[in-house]
Amino acid sequence: MINMGFFLVLAAALFAIGLFGLLSNKRGIVSLMCIELMLNAANINFVTFASFKSDATGQVFVIMSIAVAAAEVAVGIALMLNAYKMKKTTEVDKLSTMRW
Amino acid sequence: MDFPILSILVIVPLVGALLTLFMGGARAPKAKFIAAAFSAVTLVLAVYLLTIKPEDLADLTENYVWFKVSGVVKMNIIFQIDGLSILMVFLTALLVFLVVLFSWHEENNANYYHSLLLAMEVGLMGVYMAADYFLFYIMWEVTLIPMFFLISWYGGPRRHYSAIKFFIYTHVASVIMMIGIFIVVFSAHDGSHAVSFAFADVAANSALSEFMQIFVFGLLFFGFAVKMPVPPFHTWLPDAHVEAPTGGSVLLAGVMLKMGSYGIIRICLNQDIFSLAFGFWQPVMIGLGLFAMVYGAYACIAQNDLKKMVAYSSISHMGMVLVGMGCMSEIGIQFAIFQMFAHGIISGVLFMVCGIAGHNFGTRDMRLLGGMAGKFPVYATFMMFGFMASLGLPGLMGFIAEFGLLYGLWTYLAAHSLEWLIVFGLLDMMLTAGYYLWAMQKTLFGKLTDKIDLEHCHDIAKNEIAVLAVLCGLIALFGIMPSVAMDFITPYSSVLGPALEALL
Amino acid sequence: MELYEFAWLVPLIPCICFVLAGFIGHKTPQCGGLIAIAGAAAAFVMAALVSYGYYTSDLYKAAEPFVQNMDWLVVGKITIQFGIYIDTLSCIMMLFASFISTLIFIYSLGYMHDQEGRRRRYFAEVSLFLTGMLGLAVSSNYLEMFVFWEIMGLCSYLLIGFWSFNHEEAVEKSSAAKKAFLVTRLGDVCLMCGLFILLYIFGSLDYQNIFGSIEAHKDDVLLPFAILLMFGGVIGKSAQFPLHDWLPDAMAGPTTVSALIHAATMVKAGIYLVARSYPIFTQCEEAMVFVAAIGGFTAIYAASMALNNMNIKRVLAYSTLSQLGYMVLALGAGAYLISLGTKNGDANLIKLGTAGYIAGILHMINHAFFKALLFLGSGSVIHAVGTEDMRMMGGLRKKMPITAYTMLIGCFSIAGIPIFSGFWSKDLVLEAAFAPFHEGLGFGSVFCVLFVLGMITAFMTAFYMFRMWFMTFTGEPRGHCHGESPKTMTFPLLILSVFAILSGLVIMGNFGYYVARSLKTSMPTAGIFVEKGMDVVKEIFTTPATYVALVLAIVGIAIAFFMYSKKAYDPEKFDQDKKPLYYRIVAKRYYFPEMYNQISWKLGYGVAKGVEAIDKQLIDGTVNGLSNAVVGGGDGLARVETGYVRDYAAYVALGVLILMGIFAVIFIYGGGF
Repeated sequence: MINMGFFLVLAAALFAIGLFGLLSNKRGIVSLMCIELMLNAANINFVTFASFKSDATGQVFVIMSIAVAAAEVAVGIALMLNAYKMKKTTEVDKLSTMRW
Repeated sequence: MDFPILSILVIVPLVGALLTLFMGGARAPKAKFIAAAFSAVTLVLAVYLLTIKPEDLADLTENYVWFKVSGVVKMNIIFQIDGLSILMVFLTALLVFLVVLFSWHEENNANYYHSLLLAMEVGLMGVYMAADYFLFYIMWEVTLIPMFFLISWYGGPRRHYSAIKFFIYTHVASVIMMIGIFIVVFSAHDGSHAVSFAFADVAANSALSEFMQIFVFGLLFFGFAVKMPVPPFHTWLPDAHVEAPTGGSVLLAGVMLKMGSYGIIRICLNQDIFSLAFGFWQPVMIGLGLFAMVYGAYACIAQNDLKKMVAYSSISHMGMVLVGMGCMSEIGIQFAIFQMFAHGIISGVLFMVCGIAGHNFGTRDMRLLGGMAGKFPVYATFMMFGFMASLGLPGLMGFIAEFGLLYGLWTYLAAHSLEWLIVFGLLDMMLTAGYYLWAMQKTLFGKLTDKIDLEHCHDIAKNEIAVLAVLCGLIALFGIMPSVAMDFITPYSSVLGPALEALL
Repeated sequence: MELYEFAWLVPLIPCICFVLAGFIGHKTPQCGGLIAIAGAAAAFVMAALVSYGYYTSDLYKAAEPFVQNMDWLVVGKITIQFGIYIDTLSCIMMLFASFISTLIFIYSLGYMHDQEGRRRRYFAEVSLFLTGMLGLAVSSNYLEMFVFWEIMGLCSYLLIGFWSFNHEEAVEKSSAAKKAFLVTRLGDVCLMCGLFILLYIFGSLDYQNIFGSIEAHKDDVLLPFAILLMFGGVIGKSAQFPLHDWLPDAMAGPTTVSALIHAATMVKAGIYLVARSYPIFTQCEEAMVFVAAIGGFTAIYAASMALNNMNIKRVLAYSTLSQLGYMVLALGAGAYLISLGTKNGDANLIKLGTAGYIAGILHMINHAFFKALLFLGSGSVIHAVGTEDMRMMGGLRKKMPITAYTMLIGCFSIAGIPIFSGFWSKDLVLEAAFAPFHEGLGFGSVFCVLFVLGMITAFMTAFYMFRMWFMTFTGEPRGHCHGESPKTMTFPLLILSVFAILSGLVIMGNFGYYVARSLKTSMPTAGIFVEKGMDVVKEIFTTPATYVALVLAIVGIAIAFFMYSKKAYDPEKFDQDKKPLYYRIVAKRYYFPEMYNQISWKLGYGVAKGVEAIDKQLIDGTVNGLSNAVVGGGDGLARVETGYVRDYAAYVALGVLILMGIFAVIFIYGGGF
């Protein structure tokens, strides 16, 4: 029997991979992708609980979060494109002018 | 309630403020007419209030629901007027109108100046008439912003420092006061009904433990004490006054400081909510009040700037109000309210006189002035009148308040076997006479100064004479016939005073 | 309607004149002078009618005051009223104050004629001054009295400082005015505190209520403090030691103002307060010894300062101080006697005490006449020679005979030569001071000393007054002189000299009985004075002390004559560089002005500088320090914001980890599910 733990471990692993990618990688596009990974890990958690508790609320939230993720990617890619246009790079460490 | 006079008292200056705000550019010189008209209407309404019999004032109460979430929270707009607020409302309306007349020749962005004055009036009227904690707090903050801009746009050389200091100081205090208000309001909420901020609802359901009463009283008291101001939380006041334009100073000292003492009487001295806290706070209030009186008076002596001296004298006189409130007796409350009213009028004269010195002579530094009485007799007369009223000359308004408050203090001290403390009250009277006479000697009397350019000095203008004459007339009127003003206060103090006395 | 029901008009008339002269004075002849004179004269006529009405009424026979009140201030249980209280004492005060003021105002027409437009201010202010005094006399309670008391304080400030600006000595003049106001204010503040205690004890400040209920409260522990504090007010206003120093400085004002302050108003207010408060003062005999001692000491102390002064007005100022000391001495001794008399039920003591009371009042009236005369005479001299220094005068008798001889009458009167008014009252004062010793009472020895001091003072008074007269009017002329003053100035001098001779003779009539009625209205047990006028006179002439005092006075006059007129002993010897120590101390006024300056400077400005420093350094320092700390802390924390997105992500992850850790700990310690 596949219990809830497998799905939760999968989600946790996915989240850890995403976090590692985000922290270790300089490239902006990759960072965005890592964020997507973490987001999906959360989605997996939602779906898991929804399924095992027989409650549709979690699935509704996943739909919502996918929509948000889509919007976020659109904004993120647009930001990166603009950054590339101005700085000729998407390396996040080079985009540090917006500090104090 | 056929005619909503109280809300109209707030709306009229609000409309005036908006109208003058948009009269920039070429129309700016006309803004003063609009401002004068609107403040005059407010004044007429306020005077009409004075003609209503005290027992009928409660019928004027207006109660609107602002918004409510059913069963959760209810916000009200409640205006009411009673013996405590009626003189303050009159004072506000009077001073704003007179300040508009006094600043008739203001030419620097006149429309904004007048708009700010009227906006101040909106906030002040709101504070004095609000019967709802939330409305009270909002109106309290509303007064802050116009005053900030009055100082930072129309002030003297260090205006930005002073304006920021004023704003942060009083804002920090009002945030702490807000915490106190929230504790009071939510503690009165037992879950069976919506949270209501109305004074009456809160008082009816309040259930604070003794420790919480003392603690929350302290939070609220701190918020009000900074506004009054009570040393050591007073240093914003001299700076703000020195830099503020004359009109701003008049409103600041005349009615804004009174918000602090008004709040203490209205909110802190509420026997339904804080009945167990009075015993703890009474000696603190008396002690701080005495300290403020003497400290303010001593600080006055050391000043060279005429206006700064008058600012410190405000601290000293408001300390007297605090002592009166601290007595928590009928006589103390009554004369505290009377002193608020008296100081409002007298400080109006004082700050106008100082403003005229700065404007007409080019300096307010007492070391540079001297012998002005010979050259500018009208000015000297008004200055002397104001100073004499403020130092408590019998026959003028200040004396009645001073005598009553010190007698209230004496009854408190005699009842607690602390008679010797009256020495500080008497010392304050001596010092007050001392610094005013010294200031007069340095500016008005003695040899005619040669340190300023007397060619360009001029005596006071017609509109200034008119404004000062009205105020001086009122000072004499209420000094000779104090019962004219007392009769408005008595219905309030004769209820609150005995109730407080019974609790102690 | 009885005549005395119009008593409220008495202070009101000069008050209206004050407003008229103040606002439209410059448009009327004499710049408001005529308004002021008319007002004072009308007030005098009104006062005379009121007095007559009261004297002939049933109230006088029944020893009841006439009281009329209206509520002024009602707070809780306390009601302060505003009204009038007429008895013989207030009648006397009203009469002599308004009469002398009228004469002084007439005199001012001549004396101030060169002041042009400033006279409007002058006449307005003197009218207000008179309002204050008359209001004080008719007040029906202590607070009302205090109001008028302070109005007089204001007027003295304004008038002493009449030349505070547009004048070459403006700085000195204005400091003198300031000093007068502040020093009397110190007394006023004490008085006010005394009133608090009275109000606290009696629940009212009304004369009638207090006097009526004094029996019930006479053992109150606070009452002696109230008495002493009220006497503090008297010390300030009537310039007793140690608050006497403002009065000599108050000579900075015009001479007419000095006359007004010394004769008709202001300093008499303090004496009036003591006389009026007799029912309260007699409750504490120890305090009365203190009162009498202050009076006796002031008398000799002030007289000593007049001995070598060269300023004609200052000499008169010191003589006022000294004479006021006499009055306070008499009233204090009288109150002491009455106090013991009521306590022991001894009618003889009460009678003697009443005689002391009468002596004080009579001396106040006589002093008012002869001091007004002397001041106006000195004003006439100053007007003619243009200086106040007596060394620049001399031989003026020929050039201004009216002034010279009217002043001579004044000098005889103050020196206590028989027939002249001062003789009678001074003798009664000394008798009153001697009585406690004579009766062998507790503090008798103190009063014996005071009596001796009074005797010495009588000698000194005769000496310095005639020194002044001889230096001014006899010998060689030492300066120029315009000649006799105009009629407006000599006319009041003549009138006053008549009164200076005659006013003492009222004692031959039933004056004593008349005054004692006032005491009886407030203290039914006291105020027994059955002696007929001629008996008093007989008693005066059969007491040895009378002759001792007379001989002392004549010796004083003789010494002055030989020193200053005959020059048998050259007074210049004192005036060398090697002055005797005592001479120097007296010339420095016993270093009192310097002490005042030091104290007020240290206590006032010294502390004020400290407060200012605390304000600037400590409080503002803390406030600015706090704001700097916030700004600095913000700057420091801002360094965390590196601008690298990955750093931020790491912070977020770290935060999540910490939160998870916290939750885990709570979860585990909370006992799991």
